[in-house]
Amino acid sequence: MKTVLKTKLPELFEKLANNYTVFVPAKIEGISRFAPYQNGLELALEENVLMPPKDIFFPQTEKMYKFKAKDQYLEIEDLPPEEGQQVIFGVRSCDLKSIDCLDQVFLTKGFVDAFYQDKRDRSILIGLSCVKPMENCFCSSMGVDPQKGVGADIQAYDLGDKVGFEAITEKGRELLGKIETLLVEEAASVPAVEKFVLTADIEGVPEKLKNMFDHPIWDDICRKCLNCSVCAFVCPTCHCFDIASEVRGEDGTKIRCWDTCMFDEYTRMAGGHQPRPGKKERVRNRFMHKLRYFPERYDMLLCTGCGRCVAKCPVNLDITAVIRKIKEAE
Amino acid sequence: MSDKVKKMQEIAREILEKGEAKVVIGWEKGTHWYLSPPAFIDKPEEVERLVWDDFCHNNLSKYLKDYVNHEGKVAIFVKGCDSRAFNRLLQDKQIERDKVILIGIPCHGLKDQDKAKELGENADIPKAKKCVECRYPNPLVYDYFIGEEKALDEVAAASEARDFSDVEAIETLSPDEKYEFWNKQYERCLRCYACRNVCPACSCRECIFDQTRVGWIGKANNASENQFFALTRAMHVAGLCIECGECERVCPMNIPIMLLNKKLIKDINLLFGPYDAGVDVDGKLPLGHFDKNDPEEFM
Amino acid sequence: MAVTAEDVKKINPLVPIRAKVIKIVQETPDVKTFHISTMDDKKPFDPMPGQLGMLSLPAIGEAMFSVTNKGESHIEMAIKSVGQLTEALHEIEVGQEVGIRGPYGNGFPVDYCKGKDILFIGGGIGLAPVRSLIMHCIKNRDDYGKLTVVYGARSKADLCFKEDLFENWPKVPNMDVFVTIDREEEGWDGHVGFVPAYVEELAPKPQVTVLCGPPVMIKFTLPTLQKMNFKDQDIITTLELRMKCGIGKCGRCNIGSCYVCLDGPVFTMEQLKDLPPEY
Repeated sequence: MKTVLKTKLPELFEKLANNYTVFVPAKIEGISRFAPYQNGLELALEENVLMPPKDIFFPQTEKMYKFKAKDQYLEIEDLPPEEGQQVIFGVRSCDLKSIDCLDQVFLTKGFVDAFYQDKRDRSILIGLSCVKPMENCFCSSMGVDPQKGVGADIQAYDLGDKVGFEAITEKGRELLGKIETLLVEEAASVPAVEKFVLTADIEGVPEKLKNMFDHPIWDDICRKCLNCSVCAFVCPTCHCFDIASEVRGEDGTKIRCWDTCMFDEYTRMAGGHQPRPGKKERVRNRFMHKLRYFPERYDMLLCTGCGRCVAKCPVNLDITAVIRKIKEAE
Repeated sequence: MSDKVKKMQEIAREILEKGEAKVVIGWEKGTHWYLSPPAFIDKPEEVERLVWDDFCHNNLSKYLKDYVNHEGKVAIFVKGCDSRAFNRLLQDKQIERDKVILIGIPCHGLKDQDKAKELGENADIPKAKKCVECRYPNPLVYDYFIGEEKALDEVAAASEARDFSDVEAIETLSPDEKYEFWNKQYERCLRCYACRNVCPACSCRECIFDQTRVGWIGKANNASENQFFALTRAMHVAGLCIECGECERVCPMNIPIMLLNKKLIKDINLLFGPYDAGVDVDGKLPLGHFDKNDPEEFM
Repeated sequence: MAVTAEDVKKINPLVPIRAKVIKIVQETPDVKTFHISTMDDKKPFDPMPGQLGMLSLPAIGEAMFSVTNKGESHIEMAIKSVGQLTEALHEIEVGQEVGIRGPYGNGFPVDYCKGKDILFIGGGIGLAPVRSLIMHCIKNRDDYGKLTVVYGARSKADLCFKEDLFENWPKVPNMDVFVTIDREEEGWDGHVGFVPAYVEELAPKPQVTVLCGPPVMIKFTLPTLQKMNFKDQDIITTLELRMKCGIGKCGRCNIGSCYVCLDGPVFTMEQLKDLPPEY
């Protein structure tokens, strides 16, 4: 396996940064997230980052096109294309799986989302294996292998003081070639994953939920929810968005930005009709979407067990507890 | 099990068995030992879920808004800050006193969840930041009471030690430095609205931030919209903030929201005389009425 | 040649093309029909009956509307003034440039309906999506059996498409049009009463029913249709939910695992029975 000392990673990023925008896990203002590598950036490689890589492909706020509207006149203008290849280093298996989920949403079922596709096509993904699950991690329960993710161009392995690389795709092989001089070929074994603190038994849950829309369980589960969007905004798979305009005089820009089924305005119609009027309907939709609707539509769960919502929910509305309640429900 | 927890469960059981309330809202153990999230108990046999420990952070009075149109009474446990939140809602006529049974529980000061997670179960875990400066650990209003009120001299000492040094540190900055400081904080705001949704002062039926179609605030996440959000929310809760610190605790981006709130509290104290929201239900709100002695330099 | 929405779909389905309003018809006090062409006088896209289009005044908003009819070089959308965008649309005049993208959604099962007698039931603005199928059946008159329209509105003034209801459609061979209003009013000598009761009274014997109207009308009409022994797959309706993208990505128009913008808006009773009642 080709390896490099962790202490030498900045050198490696530096080298790649000559040709690519290199996103790496970093700590900025106390929050860990993916950020373009630059000298002096504080790397965050010990555990997964709080903010998932989702926003690299699907930014929280994204400009879509410009327009000019004056009296009866209208002009619609595309934005100049973004260019340049980007490397995303250190994507954990849960987040690689989430990109697989996002690919399904944005690239399949008849319509291709051009904004997402463009960023996705310009990206090279380097996965990073996990050794010690964080205490809210439960990826293995959701069918994710913490040591090897799906869809990476290169899989990197945490070898303690070193990182090992294995090229998966042609793009990955090519990229590894560019940093070859920094790598050492040596025999290395990938350490086993330590025990998970949190687990979930998902077996049969999507099928069971088919008959649980009217189950009293939702009256109970929803009660402590505050209908904020912490869960959705730290989630690597939540992908709902709103489209809005920013207007200054005659000029405007259409933007899209993250939205969530927790918010009232999300489904409220212009005439006032609200198909999901309260906490119960919204909480139910969130978990149904993750555990039943998405599997029905795309044949995969919309939860990768990254544990971010468990860690950040203000009221500890824990999806593994919800799964357990669903399993136990009569 | 501590005596307090036993007592808690006894009272809850009695309330449910006698049918005095249909639901008792308290705290229960969550995913980890340092989490004690809200619990909703409907049946006497479920009261054993209830706990009282170092991590019962959630301000339960917020949930009373969900029961405004509920038949029958709701029973909730209140710490000092929860009771102030209750008073605030009562003062605004958001809830009815006789529809709520309050079970007061004096608070010893809760512990920091992040530090607990970091240091482990056997370590000496520091108090949560929001609890260090607490001046109202005892419930101000209750129907049932558990345990003993915290010694008054201790409470008085905390009052004496009222500390605005963090606010003063910001006040000494130049306008540009202040701007830079707050811009940096709110640049990372996700606008998830957890701060608003957990806040007992945020009790408007329709919130300005939900009315994006009207155009008061854009949905885009950028510096100017985020600042507008931060400032508007701070001004909206000015004079109403009961300093439970929940906004800052739940913020996933660790934004020092209480620093903004404290600045406004400090200014209100200075301009209109010392005021603690949610203490006196019958009193007038400092920003809710006009007094001919109000300062009016801005006129 | 200008780029059509069909081309845009291939490039970027979320970006509308520039189009113009060439005619506005005031249908009722709060419903207007807008005729829309591309800048070079072409049809913006060629929708199937029941399909949808995203219409925008970009500075104000963008919303999904059913296409009520199409001509050689334009499409028509009948729009009720209910919110910010629709109120603004009601203010515009002929010549206004708008953004448009589409077509979206599945549309009515025109082939399945071939050779069958069809009952169209509409209430208020609910006739708008159904009209596209009625117009299709009239254009291809020989392909379909007897056409029966039962339509109701609150008052005479609230009846949409009056010219069709009272002039054009009654002249179509083997087509009956029954119109009702909720309450008696001066100058109205037609039927008075609600749509569900009127359908029961008329007791038509079609093979397929297409209905669209306010939820309350649908709720009370379904038992009538069941009494008439319709099979679930022969009761067809079209739904409306809040939409933003129109292409099954933004999430909000889901009913269970279906997206109304993509898998709908047309559903049979058979399909709806398998979905959560969340619409």
